[in-house]
Amino acid sequence: MEQDLDSRFERLEKALGNMIDALAKNNPSDKVAEELLAAEADLSESLKLLETHQNNNARIQQLRQETSLLDTQIKDIASSLWNMRKELKAVPTTSNPPNGAKHQFTTAELLAYARRISRNTLPLPGVTNGVDMTATQPSTQPADPEDSFRLQTQPTQTQTPNASFNFSFNSTVGTPAPLSAATPTTTTANDTQPTTQLPPSQQQQQHPPKPPAEDKLPQHLQPAVNPLHDATFHPWPTEAQIRSGALASIQRLADSGIDPKGYDPAEEERKLKEQEQARKEAEERARQEREAAERRMREERERMARERELARQREGGGGGLERRESVAVGRAKPKQFTFLGADDDDDDEDED
Amino acid sequence: MESGPMSVDSAALDPPALPEDGANEPKYGGHSRFELELEFVQSLANPQYLNYLASRKFLTNPAFVAYLEYLQYWTRPPYLKYLTFPTSTLKMLELLQQEKFRQDIISPDLAHAMIMEGMKTAVEWHREG
Repeated sequence: MEQDLDSRFERLEKALGNMIDALAKNNPSDKVAEELLAAEADLSESLKLLETHQNNNARIQQLRQETSLLDTQIKDIASSLWNMRKELKAVPTTSNPPNGAKHQFTTAELLAYARRISRNTLPLPGVTNGVDMTATQPSTQPADPEDSFRLQTQPTQTQTPNASFNFSFNSTVGTPAPLSAATPTTTTANDTQPTTQLPPSQQQQQHPPKPPAEDKLPQHLQPAVNPLHDATFHPWPTEAQIRSGALASIQRLADSGIDPKGYDPAEEERKLKEQEQARKEAEERARQEREAAERRMREERERMARERELARQREGGGGGLERRESVAVGRAKPKQFTFLGADDDDDDEDED
Repeated sequence: MESGPMSVDSAALDPPALPEDGANEPKYGGHSRFELELEFVQSLANPQYLNYLASRKFLTNPAFVAYLEYLQYWTRPPYLKYLTFPTSTLKMLELLQQEKFRQDIISPDLAHAMIMEGMKTAVEWHREG
């Protein structure tokens, strides 16, 4: 390209030189002028080519830059991919991958399960407060492990309020103060109560700054309102739970000589209740029947009595009257039979 | 040969039916096999109970060992989700498959150490990392 351009420049220079010579010699010629024109056109064409060439070159440079940029990008991506792969490989996985189909579950199920097991996987915050798990030595009480594992809240509670109670009491009332941190809790609490019951005026005079523990319950009452008092936590079923479970109830059944298979205590109880109910109903029915029979009998008797009376009335009007009177007399006097004959006689006499 | 409940020749059972589709399962003292086995497998999580079972020579009974192997269905869905003490239950079930552990748990010291460790872990597991 450069050579081509150089030769064209030379040609133009030569033509120009010839032209200048010709002009200097005052002998211009058409031929020289045309040669100059042709050389000029040639050069400008060549320059145009050069321009294109330069443009192309610039473009090539630009593209090269672009490719190098893209190359670095690719390298970055590749290296990050490699890193990621390394990380993935470093993630610990279970040694026994699940075989077979995966078990599907929903988020709701998962959350429900988490809620269900949460009380058995982590003790409540208050239960472990201040308990130093490393303090208890396994060898100290091998016989009775249960007690050493009670995670109680009490140790933490007993300190701060107690100390402040003592302080306020001693400083305000000015007792000789045999009370110390070693005093039993109950005495402290009882002694403190009078402080709070002082008349307001006296109270204000004596101790303007209120003791900070004033709004707290006395020590011996605090466990009563603390739901975590005596709370224990075990990450497995306790002995008491095992003893009160279904297996234990089956053992009891077996001990009492009942085959637990097919035996349902609830069902048995229901059956027993049903039997009882049936028995009661039968009794009730029998009683009702008996009453009905008695009533029928009574009615029958009354009916027969009435019939007899009617028959007697039909036999004769006097007879009926007689009978009625006799009944009336009988009602009035218990000894009816002694008077009956006399009555009859009287009637007879009247009729006569 | 008679195949009693504590005999190795008892027929291998399938895991019990799930509570939702075991409506007409035979009942034992009013409880289904699912309920009883769930209770038992979780009771095994208590080291003291294991120590008791070992002292009664249950853990050396081949039939009982076979039963422990059968109980492993609790480590798989759909039974897994019914465990309310999953961590300790699964760990104990795993340990109980090893003969050495079944022999060692008869020692009260080991049971005690396991109780200690279990409690400590239960309190501290969430503090790590």
